[in-house]
Amino acid sequence: MDDASEREFAEYFRARRDAVRRTAFLLCGDWHRADDHAQAAFVALHRHWRRIRDRAALDAWVRRTLVRSIVDESRRPWRRERATAEPPPDTGAVPSASEAVTTRHVLVDGLRAVPPRQRAVLVLRYLDGLDVAGTAAALGCSEGTVKSQTAHGLTALRAVLGDALDDLRPAG
Amino acid sequence: MTDDERLGELFRAAASDSAAPAPGFDHEAVVRTSRRITARRRAAVTVGGLALFAVVGVGGAIVLPRASGGGQDATVAAPMLAPEAPSADSRAQQQAPPPAAAEGAPGAGAAPDRREVAPAPGAAAVGGPPPLGPGTTECADRQDPALRAVVEEFLPEVIGAPEAAITMECRPGGERGVNLEVRDGSAAGVLTVQYLPPGTAIKPVEGAVSAPTASGGTVVVSTRGDGPDAPAPFADRLDTLVAQLAPRL
Repeated sequence: MDDASEREFAEYFRARRDAVRRTAFLLCGDWHRADDHAQAAFVALHRHWRRIRDRAALDAWVRRTLVRSIVDESRRPWRRERATAEPPPDTGAVPSASEAVTTRHVLVDGLRAVPPRQRAVLVLRYLDGLDVAGTAAALGCSEGTVKSQTAHGLTALRAVLGDALDDLRPAG
Repeated sequence: MTDDERLGELFRAAASDSAAPAPGFDHEAVVRTSRRITARRRAAVTVGGLALFAVVGVGGAIVLPRASGGGQDATVAAPMLAPEAPSADSRAQQQAPPPAAAEGAPGAGAAPDRREVAPAPGAAAVGGPPPLGPGTTECADRQDPALRAVVEEFLPEVIGAPEAAITMECRPGGERGVNLEVRDGSAAGVLTVQYLPPGTAIKPVEGAVSAPTASGGTVVVSTRGDGPDAPAPFADRLDTLVAQLAPRL
């Protein structure tokens, strides 16, 4: 890449790294794996920088790469996730819903029990604030699929968290 | 506040973890990794091209003298006296079989879900390059350039295809892997090729095709389309590809 492109990439990286890490964290539930996936997405972006002509679509490109990376990893034989209706063991007793720590842990643990594709739809819609069309574009699927995955994902999340989801309060 | 707004605040609160560890990578690390991958890819393409050139050159040097009919009898027959020209079928038989000849390999049309293809009999012993075998055991990304060069040899449509995003992983047994974003007509998706060394447990994903390789390992090939119901690219060529890769890995 020439110097101008490198500068453009550096600016984009500085502006978006933390947001991409946060998205990756909610998608996989672990900060270290989130770093791996976010770094892989930025490396792929750097390698394809000159070929991405629509600079307005960078966010969508990175989101799509990130989601694909995490969903693909969950499918691999040696690290396959299994969706379960049982909540993780350490979330059995929900402490005071007013604590920010509780919000984080309960929601992150609950998301782990949601199938990866549905989890991706929930994270893009509620963390990144994308609408149905934007989420569909980021995931490369139809808007109808996004709507159904959203409904199924929320149902799965409520099945795991039960009333705890309604009791949670955004804090901090 | 609507339910969507409340969920949005909850998600943002959950992700804004003040106790999150410091980022494990910076701009320099990203650029360094990107350049290393690009350099390795170029080197692999160069080595693959040279290997292909060597194979074609050596193969041509062996095959061409035989195809000329031995070369001892230099007599040229007049057109009227020349023997009947060989038919198109016999000419085709004299030529080396194309890679697609392995389509008839046993198991090519087996069960649709997870299929195992037997290697082409004697394919590894026909003077081709030695099997690739296990790769390095260091921690690295799983886009193996040597494996990609072999895949591109048998599936030229993927030459230049961008690598699908993957994570850095350790490969204690020397596993090799390639994940490519490919397009096959109107079908777009990801083609995954894995080489598992001998003794590695095989758990192929649905629709994957596998075969034992010349080095005693296993090659597993799978493809999936973009989106839940999208057609998978090259789905009808997985059997052929596995049969062609097996003698080379």
